[in-house]
Amino acid sequence: MPMSLKSDYPSAADEQLVAWAKDGDTAAFEELIHRHRDKIYARAMIMMRNEGDAIDLSQEAWVKSWQRLHQFQGESSFATWMTRIVINLCLDQIRRQKRTRAESIEELEEAGGVERQMPIAESNPTEGLESEEVRRRIDEAMGKLTDAHRTVLVMHEFEGLEYKEIAKRVGISIGTVMSRLFYARRRLASLLQSLKRERSE
Amino acid sequence: MKTTEFTLDLQAYVDGELDASRRAEVERVLASDAEARELVAGLRQIAELVRTHEPVIRVPETREFYWSQIQRRIAQAEAVEAKEAPQASGAMQWLRWLAPALGVAAVAVMVALPRGEKEGTTLAANDTVEDAVSMTFRSDADGVTIHWIN
Repeated sequence: MPMSLKSDYPSAADEQLVAWAKDGDTAAFEELIHRHRDKIYARAMIMMRNEGDAIDLSQEAWVKSWQRLHQFQGESSFATWMTRIVINLCLDQIRRQKRTRAESIEELEEAGGVERQMPIAESNPTEGLESEEVRRRIDEAMGKLTDAHRTVLVMHEFEGLEYKEIAKRVGISIGTVMSRLFYARRRLASLLQSLKRERSE
Repeated sequence: MKTTEFTLDLQAYVDGELDASRRAEVERVLASDAEARELVAGLRQIAELVRTHEPVIRVPETREFYWSQIQRRIAQAEAVEAKEAPQASGAMQWLRWLAPALGVAAVAVMVALPRGEKEGTTLAANDTVEDAVSMTFRSDADGVTIHWIN
């Protein structure tokens, strides 16, 4: 890897750092990593629920981004481009590990309809809680979802992707995206209610 | 109770994924269906809650150590790439010599085959180094022998 070329990295915008990194400036690239590493790692951790996998895949995402930096043309922010890379790596890993369980909304529907599986939350399950505690509980509840449901939820709520884009990237139909998302939300609401009850007892 | 399809339409309504006509239809139902309104409110609540409370998780390693691991992986990847590059270029060099030879062989076959190989005919490529580009065609039935020499 070539040597660093500049010195004012901390004050430079992402776009400038990317331009320098494209010229082979590793210090500029390291600054980008420093700025975004927690977000990229968090995505991997939320998806994989395993620290070892999250470290490995987040680092792999940075290696890939260095190799493909010339492909980044700034259509999205650098952070968005990076999160797409790490999510794709997580999806590949989940497929390789065949972690996607048979549990699906279709099976649940056969058992009596999606709307009967999860009662509507009577009240806000996080009312009165500090924001940090809400985040912690959401993370805990997400850990109890299946990979399939959590993946769709992350891509929709955190990445802001539309149904058709999720369907394309995960390789499922739009109908399956909708049903998985519905189930994930209702399950999450139920889990948060349970956590609320547990903590108040 | 609503059908599964309509329930998912309610969710698509919350997510802004319905086209104008379907959205109008859902809104017409919502105006008179308290249960549907309750479901929409519940979906909005959980979607908003998750969206605004993304878990904050930090890399459990120092900046220096994390970067050193990435540097090592990049160096390894580049070493593998560099190792594969000469092999690929060697293969290309070999193909550079092979391609004309294959071309000559293809032309020879194209010249020979249209004549057909009737019973009692033979098509032979002489296998000595000196005669590598000569060929012989013999037809006993026609009493003809042809030699191609280049």
